Amino acid sequence: MAAEARLSHTAAMILQAISAGYVYGFSIMEMTGLPSGTVYPAMRRLERDDLIRSQWEKQSIADAEQRPPRKYYRLTADGKATLEASRKRYPLLERLISTEEANSL
Amino acid sequence: MKPSHDRALRAVQNGTIRTASLLVPSLKRSDWRCEWQAELWHVRHSLCEAGAPSWLAQREVTAFCLGSLRDAWCLRRESRPPHQPQPRISGAAGQCLLRLCTLLAVCVVLASLLPGVEAERDPARFQVNTGVILIQTSASGDQFEPTIAPAFYRDWKGTRQRYFDDFAFYRTVHETALLDSRRAPWSVAHASPNLFSLLGLQLPFDPISVADMALFPALILSHDAWRREFAYDPAVAGRVIRVGNRSARIAGVMPYGMWRLPETPDAWLLEPDSLLAHASPRTRGYLVAHLSPLGQDWMQGGWVSIAVRGADFDDPQFYGVSFAGRLRGPWGIYQFSLILALLALPAVTSVTLGESNYSSHRPSRKRAIVRWAFLLSKFVLVAAIAYYASLDLAWGNSSNYSSLAEFAQLVWAFTICLFGFRWALADQRQRCPVCLRRVTHPARVGLASRTFLGWNGTEMICTGGHTLLHVPSLPTSWFGGQRWMYLDASWEFLFADSGAC
Repeated sequence: MAAEARLSHTAAMILQAISAGYVYGFSIMEMTGLPSGTVYPAMRRLERDDLIRSQWEKQSIADAEQRPPRKYYRLTADGKATLEASRKRYPLLERLISTEEANSL
Repeated sequence: MKPSHDRALRAVQNGTIRTASLLVPSLKRSDWRCEWQAELWHVRHSLCEAGAPSWLAQREVTAFCLGSLRDAWCLRRESRPPHQPQPRISGAAGQCLLRLCTLLAVCVVLASLLPGVEAERDPARFQVNTGVILIQTSASGDQFEPTIAPAFYRDWKGTRQRYFDDFAFYRTVHETALLDSRRAPWSVAHASPNLFSLLGLQLPFDPISVADMALFPALILSHDAWRREFAYDPAVAGRVIRVGNRSARIAGVMPYGMWRLPETPDAWLLEPDSLLAHASPRTRGYLVAHLSPLGQDWMQGGWVSIAVRGADFDDPQFYGVSFAGRLRGPWGIYQFSLILALLALPAVTSVTLGESNYSSHRPSRKRAIVRWAFLLSKFVLVAAIAYYASLDLAWGNSSNYSSLAEFAQLVWAFTICLFGFRWALADQRQRCPVCLRRVTHPARVGLASRTFLGWNGTEMICTGGHTLLHVPSLPTSWFGGQRWMYLDASWEFLFADSGAC
């Protein structure tokens, strides 16, 4: 719960973006409007605190689409609980980044 | 955006991520770099999707890459074990080298972006065939002047020669060009059709084949005129424009920096020899000749004397002068200025490092090697900066050969080398031989009035607690130069970061 208390609005936005389906750094930047120098260090801290977990995409999938493989992020169980608490703390979070919007893309 | 600019910016962006990765702890570096490079690929793909990238897109990609520095720095800070004191890096050797490398990178990037420097650094672009000379009435290779009448060219071209294979001629005239109902005063070189083939300049088009010489003679635009009058219009070739009292078809644009011969015309008009030779007898131009193997044997250094038998016992004297001085490229000038700076260095600073010390404790052999390697690195970096910075400053905006630009390069390279080396030595003298940090906290010691009783001067200390540096304010026979005093382990408790080096 200590992590919940420390979670800044920026970190909460990133958690919400990942939860909404923006699962790699550049898409989170585009969604939140935050610069790369803020998004990536914040994701490292969230990963360090076990709120998110990263996983490299399979090389075969990237090869098939002729692009380098990406690193994807997803919420852990702790991350989901923390996000839930953050939504209560920042009520406008869900309106800023809605899950429906991500799913429709 | 030009492809060269795109390439340079891509190099800067990739270089930023590579540089930032050096900050990341080695265990995580590979994974970190893979992620940023993959993301960079996607960012480029997303922002530069529609053909050539714009400046705006490149700015966003560069801003994205700059974020990697912050990410790497945060990762480095967080991976440091807790309770370990942060080492002081102020004045450290690595920081000094990093600054020099950054300065060098800026100079290199500028050199790749400035068209004048790019042209100057590529000698193949302006090299002419061996045995090509300019015939004139003076033997000077520094001052070329139009001294040959068109009639001479006609006579020599029409007669069999032992010492020459071929001749070409050009003369420069100020004429008005009519461009879409707009008049522009141009300097036009009326040249024989074989001028460029005789010189051996590799034009990316064949001016003779694209023009009907009888109806519309071929006109080759200079890069400067193409920029100024046609705003880099890629479809300029094939257009017919009026120059002076005749129409000419534009055959193409002379590549940047290729023309090194005397005069800087806005355009070259290739005229048949018959038209060229019938110019006013008072006009003078430049006669370019290619020496036969026999003629090349007669060359003495950069020139050859040519005696012509005149009809009325008045034998005019001519000289064939080589273009070598104009084709040497910037490297020769740089080498000369580097040697000059090294010779002048002892006149502006002491070349010793003040190695004397008065204690038995000395740094290890490995430390001594690192210290000398650091000094050598500074010299090499300063020399490289001097080369690129002098090119940027002298040739940045020069579209043609200019003796003034050569002189400017010589002066800049000499100045930067001389004062750069002076700084490198002065900086080295104030760096602790153990940890290479600059000594700080200067303190006055002694009194000037008691010079003969004890030394007076300035004492500085290494923040790592390794050394004290004593610099006398008045050199005496027993204390002529600065001295290092090495501190033993008993001093360590006074310094928080003594183990940092």
